[in-house]
Amino acid sequence: MLRIDHGAPGTVRIAGRLDAAQCPAAQAFLDKVSGTVTLDCAGLEYISSAGLGLLLKTQKRLMSSGGKLRLAGVSRHLRDILQYSGFDQIFEIAAD
Amino acid sequence: MNAPSDRRELSFRDLEPILAVASKLAAPFDLETMLAEVVDAGARVLRADRGSVWLYDRNTDELVLRVAHDIVPIRIPAGTGIVGTCARTREIINVPDCYADARFDPSTDRRTGYRTRCLLTLPLVDHKGVLVGVMQLLNKAHGVFDAADAALGRVLAAQCAVALQRTLMMEELIEGEKMRQQLETARVVQMSTLPAVMPEVPGYDLYASFQPADLTGGDTYDLALVGERLLVVLGDATGHGIGPALSVTQMQAMLRMAFRLGADLETAYLQVNNQLAERLPADRFITAFIGLLDPKSHMLRFHSGGQAPILCYRAAGGACVDYKPTSFPLAAMPLERLRPATTVELEPGDVLALVSDGIFEHPNAAGEQFGEPRVRELLARHHRKSTAELCAVLLDEVRAFAAGAPQEDDMTIVLVKRAGAAATRSFRRSFDSLAAIFAFTAETMGPGLARTVDFVLEELFTNVVKYGPPSDVPVRIDVARIAGGVEVTLIDSDAEAFDVTRAPEADTRLPLEQRQPGGLGIHLVRKMVDSIDHSYSAETRTSRVTFRKTETQDAED
Repeated sequence: MLRIDHGAPGTVRIAGRLDAAQCPAAQAFLDKVSGTVTLDCAGLEYISSAGLGLLLKTQKRLMSSGGKLRLAGVSRHLRDILQYSGFDQIFEIAAD
Repeated sequence: MNAPSDRRELSFRDLEPILAVASKLAAPFDLETMLAEVVDAGARVLRADRGSVWLYDRNTDELVLRVAHDIVPIRIPAGTGIVGTCARTREIINVPDCYADARFDPSTDRRTGYRTRCLLTLPLVDHKGVLVGVMQLLNKAHGVFDAADAALGRVLAAQCAVALQRTLMMEELIEGEKMRQQLETARVVQMSTLPAVMPEVPGYDLYASFQPADLTGGDTYDLALVGERLLVVLGDATGHGIGPALSVTQMQAMLRMAFRLGADLETAYLQVNNQLAERLPADRFITAFIGLLDPKSHMLRFHSGGQAPILCYRAAGGACVDYKPTSFPLAAMPLERLRPATTVELEPGDVLALVSDGIFEHPNAAGEQFGEPRVRELLARHHRKSTAELCAVLLDEVRAFAAGAPQEDDMTIVLVKRAGAAATRSFRRSFDSLAAIFAFTAETMGPGLARTVDFVLEELFTNVVKYGPPSDVPVRIDVARIAGGVEVTLIDSDAEAFDVTRAPEADTRLPLEQRQPGGLGIHLVRKMVDSIDHSYSAETRTSRVTFRKTETQDAED
C-alpha cells in the first residue's frame, strides 16, 4: 500500500510502495502540488521505474514554473536506485 | 409499476413476435445495427411508434444515447429523469400521460416537434444480472401501454439485453484484437531493426540475444561497425505496450544515423537525448548504454543513461567489475552538456556484458528475482566459453531459475569479448632477451607465422631497448589467436610518448644522436603484417603496439 499526504508546509510525505499500480493515486496527489516541494521519502519502501517516471513528470512540471521537487529522507536503497539510474542528477537530494 | 399484477401468462400470439425477434437478435450484428434492431423489435412487439436504447456506461455511471454516427452521444447520469431512474431501480416505468408526469423532460419534444403521449421504459438486464442499458418506447398505437405490454416488454427486454451484451463483448474483443495486432506490428518493427548478423571484428567475439516478452517491453540493442569502430548499444524503454517498443526502435535508428554521419559519442548522445526528450511523454524514459569500441586500441568509450549495472569480466583479476551510468536516462530531460564518458580498456579475455532488467528481475514462482550476483557468478564461471555459448548459459540459467514463472519483460544480452591471450610473457629490457622472445613465439605459433612475428618483434623490442629510457620494468608480450593467425601486443609500461609505428624513415646520413628512434625496419614491418597500431597512455606511461598476422597473408607474400 502507498500513503501520501501533506507534512510540514512545503513537504509531502510518501510511504509504502510506489509501484505501477499505485502511480495513479500518487499522481493525482502530486498533480496538485506547486512551487518547491520537499518529498519526504523516509517511509518509502519501494519504487519502480513507473514511480521514477512519476517523480520525473512532477519535477518537469514544477521546474517549468520555477519550482522543483527535492527528495529528503532518502534511504540507502533509494539512493542506490537514484544513482544507478542517473536520476541523482535530476533531483536535489537533501542531506539527512 | 412493477406490481405482481403486471405478470400474466403469455399467449402464443404474444410469443410469436418475440421468438421472431429472438432469432433475429442472434445474428452477429455490429453495435450500430444491433441497437437499431433492438429498437425496431421493441417497437414492433409492443406496437410503439418509435423507441430508443440507452447504453449504460459503468465507468461514469451514466446512460449514453448514440444519436448518429457523427454526433456526440447524449449522456445522462443514472438516477436522473425517467431513463436514469429506470437504470437505478431496474424497474419498468410506465408513464401513460407524459405531460402529467413531473419526471418527463419535454425539451426533446420542443426541439423535434414530436409529441410524446405515453412512455414505456424498460431496464435491459442480461441473464447474469448485469445492467446493459435502458429501452424506451414511445406512443403506443391506439392508446397507452398497459400491464400486459409491461409483461411482454420484460421478456423482450431480457432478450435484447443478452443480444446487446453479446455485441458489446464482441466489439471489445475486436478492439482487443486490433490492439494485439498493433502491438504485434510494433514488435515486428522493433525486431526488424536488430542486427541480422553479428559484425566481424578481428580479435573480438560478439554475440547478442533479444528474447521478447509476450506483450510488453521495450528493449533494443545494436552491434554495428561504424567506420573502424564498433557501436555497442543496449536500450530499455519504460512503460508497457506499443509506445516503448517504438521509442527504443526510434532511438536505435537515430543513433545509427548519427554515428554513420560521423557524429562523436557526445554529440550523438546529446542530440538523440534532446530529440527524444521533446517527443516522449513526460513520464517516459529510456535507459541506454551507448558505446564505441576501437577494436585496434581496445579502448571502449561509453555513455550510459541510467543503464546499470554495466558488467565487465576482467580476465586478469578473475572477477566482474561494474561501471556506473554517466547520465540519467535518455529522454528524461534535455541536456546541455554531459559528464565525461567512461573509458575502459578491454584486455585479452575480458567480457563486456550488457544485460537488460528483464534478466536481473526475472522472477521465480516464489517472487524472488534472478539478480545481479547470479549474473556475475555465471560470467566468472563461463568466461572462457564463446559469447554465443555464454549467452545460452545465461538464458538457460534464467529459465531454470524461473521454473515456469512467466517472463514479464524483454530479456536482452549483449556480449563483447576480447579474444584471450593464448600466452603472455615478460622480458627484461636487454638485447639478451631476444632469444627468449623467439623461444616464446616458437611455443605459441607455427613456424610460418613465427618467422614474420619474430622479425617484427625484434624490430620493436630493439627500439624499446635502444631508445626507451633506462628502466627495470619488464616489457610484456601478449599473443592472442585470431581467425587464421595471431595478434601480438608489445606492452611497455614505462615509456615516453612515441608512436613507433609512425616513425619517419631513418636518415642514415645523420649521426646517431640526431636520429629519431626506430625507423629503419618500420616501413618493412608495415608491409609484412596485416595491421599495426600504437596507443599511448600518459597517465600510466604505457605504450602498446599491436599487430596482426594471418597465414593467408603470409601465403600471398
